[in-house]
Amino acid sequence: MRTGGLAVFALLCVTSLLVGARQLEWSGDAWLTLTASRLPRLAALVLTGVGLSVCGVILQHLVRNKFVEPATSGGLDAAKLGILLSLALVPAASVPVRMLFALVVCFAAGLLFVLLIRRIQFKSTVLVPVIGLMYGGVLSAIAEFYAYRHNIMQSMQGWLLGDFSRVVQGSYEIIYLILPIVVLTYLYAHRFTLVGMGEGMATSLGLNYPATVALGLLLVAVTVSATVISVGAIPFVGLVIPNLVALRYGDNLGRTLPIVALSGASLLLACDILGRVLIYPFEVPIGLTAGSVGGVLFLALIIWRQR
Amino acid sequence: MRRLQPRLAVWGTVTLLALVFVFLGAGMDVEYVIPRRLTRLGAMVIGGVCIAWSSITFQTLTGNRILTPAIMGYEAVYLLLQALLVLLLGTSSVVLLGIHGNFLLSVVVMLVYSWGIHRWLFRDGNSNVYTLLLVGLVLTLVIGTFTQFVQLKVSPGEFSVLQSFSLASFNRVQPPQLLYGALVVAAVALVGRKSLATLDVLSLGRDQAISLGVDYRHSVRLHLALIAALVAVSTSLLGPTAFMGIFVANSTYALARTFRHRVTLALGSAVAIGLFIAAQLLVEHVFNYTTTVGILINLLCGGYFLVLMVRTRGAP
Repeated sequence: MRTGGLAVFALLCVTSLLVGARQLEWSGDAWLTLTASRLPRLAALVLTGVGLSVCGVILQHLVRNKFVEPATSGGLDAAKLGILLSLALVPAASVPVRMLFALVVCFAAGLLFVLLIRRIQFKSTVLVPVIGLMYGGVLSAIAEFYAYRHNIMQSMQGWLLGDFSRVVQGSYEIIYLILPIVVLTYLYAHRFTLVGMGEGMATSLGLNYPATVALGLLLVAVTVSATVISVGAIPFVGLVIPNLVALRYGDNLGRTLPIVALSGASLLLACDILGRVLIYPFEVPIGLTAGSVGGVLFLALIIWRQR
Repeated sequence: MRRLQPRLAVWGTVTLLALVFVFLGAGMDVEYVIPRRLTRLGAMVIGGVCIAWSSITFQTLTGNRILTPAIMGYEAVYLLLQALLVLLLGTSSVVLLGIHGNFLLSVVVMLVYSWGIHRWLFRDGNSNVYTLLLVGLVLTLVIGTFTQFVQLKVSPGEFSVLQSFSLASFNRVQPPQLLYGALVVAAVALVGRKSLATLDVLSLGRDQAISLGVDYRHSVRLHLALIAALVAVSTSLLGPTAFMGIFVANSTYALARTFRHRVTLALGSAVAIGLFIAAQLLVEHVFNYTTTVGILINLLCGGYFLVLMVRTRGAP
């Protein structure tokens, strides 16, 4: 199973390197195409896929709900609001500064969301993502209130549509921040598994519950802001992959995290290749392909589980 | 007598607001200003009734006070339709379809959508509202991505057309649409009036309703159909209003201090109309059109929603 998964992943990586508007030939500029565009794109894709699916897993354990991911917990809207804030307060901000704003707002919003969810007794698990969407709507409304006055609504929409075509050498490096995050998550995987068992259980097993939750939210905030800044939002990856993996392999993060990461990267690579060949030589943004593929997968999951 | 007072106060406030809205600074211009304002007032009345009725009955059906039918994907479908129209036909779509064509098309598309998901979900007899909710949620996300893509691809001019559809406002309403809307609302009221008592029973919960002799499945489907019609009208008339239903329904329960639908539906309509007029007055006279009714309502109602959740611990 492991080797099969790895083989599929490797195949997808090679395909991703070979597909594109410019044919790769063994002549002068093939190397430039590879190093300046294809390899950065591959790295960004893999990292984003890994980051988003891991993010989904952490959030789902923190909130103890299977339907939560950055898109359904206000994380994306918070990042948008953060970028808007940076544009408003420091118009000449560089990319790291903007990312810092997004990170801070994202973290604060995540903290508020967790507090909110903990205070509420839910009759149905479906209500948690519904609350999350509304929460995101409130954050969005604040952003819109400002953006409408300054006529930047259309550009603001653009920040959030995932698109890898702008990933070239020199403009995407911030995404490497995901790497240490994933390593950290892996190191703390057992603690997040405990958090997923609830506060009482986690505390009685000797876990510093608030600190672990804060750490998890920080990891999520870094990942979300790094992806939103460099490639935009990609829905459903953090929702579908953890659910599919948990159905088959259970919830022990120490064991499932590598599978989750690998599947997330593979799904994103597949969606990206699809987007690139669909209207070749142009491309469909990955936000769209991943949104529809992930949405269909998730609907299938709901219907299948209902049977 | 004491129970009547808040209701009278609400109706009084709404009447006062309406008078201020129609006559403030109008200079008794009966040729243009006052008829235009009356049209908008009509839109607010119809929209308010639609929103109050649909969200209060929806909350009764789901047994939950923090939901609104908007979450089931209607508004996403509406926005996608507008985005596709602009993408395929450009700005000329406004001229080509005419404002009535667009209105009717939106109503029909939303009705087809709700017919589709109801039929698909209820086909094997299990009417789980939460599954409906989950499916609506996923569709909202998926369709939202498509709409975002279209919004990014169109030119700024086309975007401004699209934006005028995607934010609730009263400015594009024409009298004939008001007539269609009023007809639908009247029809729904006629059908719904008979089953107000059934609604009261339904609010006790599924099991109680069944043991009290209500044909649960039939009633739920009937009321979901009515809700679909009302949401279709209000969304095509005004645009998306997301949270407003929650605000309207919950403040209505607080004011009415009863859950009988005969009272709450009427009072809710008053609250919704009052909110619309107040928001419009603020936009016109305080913010001077630097913001829109839609954004203002989303901010206010969204904030209220969060406060409600924190204060009541989710069990209001």
